[in-house]
Amino acid sequence: MKRIRSFTACAIGLLFSLTVLHSPVAGQNNPKLSDAEVAHTAVTANQIDIDYAKIAKERSKNTEVLKFAETMTNDHKAVIEQAVALVTKLGVTPQDNAVSKNLLADAEKTSKMLRTKSGKTFDKAYIDNEVAYHKAVIASVEGLLIPESENAELKAFLQNVVPALKAHLEHAQMVQKQLSGK
Amino acid sequence: MNHARITIRYSLFMSFLVLFLLYLTSFSAPYKPATHTVEISQMKFKPAALDVKKGDKVVFINKDIVFHDVTETSGKSWKSPALAPGKSWSMVVTQNQSYYCSIHPVMKGSITVK
Repeated sequence: MKRIRSFTACAIGLLFSLTVLHSPVAGQNNPKLSDAEVAHTAVTANQIDIDYAKIAKERSKNTEVLKFAETMTNDHKAVIEQAVALVTKLGVTPQDNAVSKNLLADAEKTSKMLRTKSGKTFDKAYIDNEVAYHKAVIASVEGLLIPESENAELKAFLQNVVPALKAHLEHAQMVQKQLSGK
Repeated sequence: MNHARITIRYSLFMSFLVLFLLYLTSFSAPYKPATHTVEISQMKFKPAALDVKKGDKVVFINKDIVFHDVTETSGKSWKSPALAPGKSWSMVVTQNQSYYCSIHPVMKGSITVK
């Protein structure tokens, strides 16, 4: 529970630093993401959730949790495939960057924490993390990646992904409610 | 005399024929079932609430970036196969239906027979 809270705090902290500290108000110190970096960050964020789903498939026995994890795997794979097809068409090579590195570092900690849990404790930790993670990713996509995209097709693609992320968040909250017996 | 009888018979026959034709045309043409389209895009069924007439066909077309399906709410009555982006599936509606996407249970819709 403490770790979930700390992850959420981490995610919120990361978002704060991304969307507030680096907002236009912050002036000239804004990290300017290129389209290649935006694409890399988008693919990384999707891959992280596929990795979380993989852990869920290994450790959960709950039908609703497993169904949710399956949806996460399939949907985020589809998004990655379409992102790769788009950047290939645009002739853009995704480029590693500080935002991607931060996302991966946080994901590493979260994955370690999830692997220490099992049974109902795991289910709760996984779903709580999915709620926090999707909130963080939605805020990042809307607050950073979309505004930073220069290419119209890349921007439109990211805008098209947001409803799926929001539906995932609602789905995670639905499972969260079921797990808590409300 | 004969000529007059023939004229009367002919007139009667023509009158009956006209009346018969009028009788036939007094029936309205039978209802021809319509086809409605429900678009699946941006994680929503559009329109989410659809009014149809009994026997109408509803075509669900997936214009989203991920797979979806159309499943009757109880899960026991009918279900489409998983629809890849660009794929469609249709059904004939004879009664009120409520449905959802079993892949994304937050997506819901209904069809009302008016």
